[in-house]
Amino acid sequence: MQSNDVDLADRLAIALSGGLLLLGVVVTGLIETLDGAPRGAAPVTNDAGEVIAQPTIDPNIRTALVVAALLVLLVYALYRVAVPHVGTTKSGEPATESYPSD
Amino acid sequence: MGMSYDAATPLRNEVDFELSGPWAAYWVAMLRVLTGWWFFHSGVGKLLDSGLNFGAAGYLQGMSGTTLGPLATFLAGFPDLLGALVPLGETAIGLGLMFGVLVRLASFFGVLFMGLFFVGNASFGHGLVNSDLMGMLLFVTIIVFAAGRYYGLDALIERTEFVQNRPRLKYLLG
Repeated sequence: MQSNDVDLADRLAIALSGGLLLLGVVVTGLIETLDGAPRGAAPVTNDAGEVIAQPTIDPNIRTALVVAALLVLLVYALYRVAVPHVGTTKSGEPATESYPSD
Repeated sequence: MGMSYDAATPLRNEVDFELSGPWAAYWVAMLRVLTGWWFFHSGVGKLLDSGLNFGAAGYLQGMSGTTLGPLATFLAGFPDLLGALVPLGETAIGLGLMFGVLVRLASFFGVLFMGLFFVGNASFGHGLVNSDLMGMLLFVTIIVFAAGRYYGLDALIERTEFVQNRPRLKYLLG
């Protein structure tokens, strides 16, 4: 189940993964959109196929931020497997030992 | 927790769908904001590059033989209106989703857009389940989960007396 208990690891993983995703997609995307062609992450080419405008922000940096967000979630997941939330049993009684509550 | 055990829908036993878990709320909000950015970027790019004269009619006309052909060719009959409504609509859908305002209404139109793209693009080289379909599923998911209620302004709007007295508005908000 979804536990309402959050510990420092949850807060860190949520804040860091969310921040990295929003930075890599939305914040850098806004900069890229507003500063002229190209408005996306791909270079602009002319009819001859020559590149005439490069993105302001290297798309590799943006994808790295997205991948970093996923790695944060992976690290959190591994940590949570190793150190489960101490939750309650189905009957509502406190568990006597560590019990995955997610 | 007072629910009886329901073997057919195990999630119901533990997840009362208020999305109370912080991870669920966080992720539903992320889906909303990222999907919103996707449409906002598309709409604003069109506005900056071609203003209110986006050429959408040709694309829709080209859908004449498809499942949504009658709808697409009907819409193609209004090229001037479409030239303004497509960029403005995409921008408004994106803003609504990012800020969490009228999320269900905005997502309804998102489903309409993605339905037309799914059928019109017909990029089925890797199967029928493609990114156009996935984009449409995201909008449906956002409607079902009322994603605007999680870190979105719809959470506040729904608490106003105006909405409390008109609960049907929650089908457009949320």
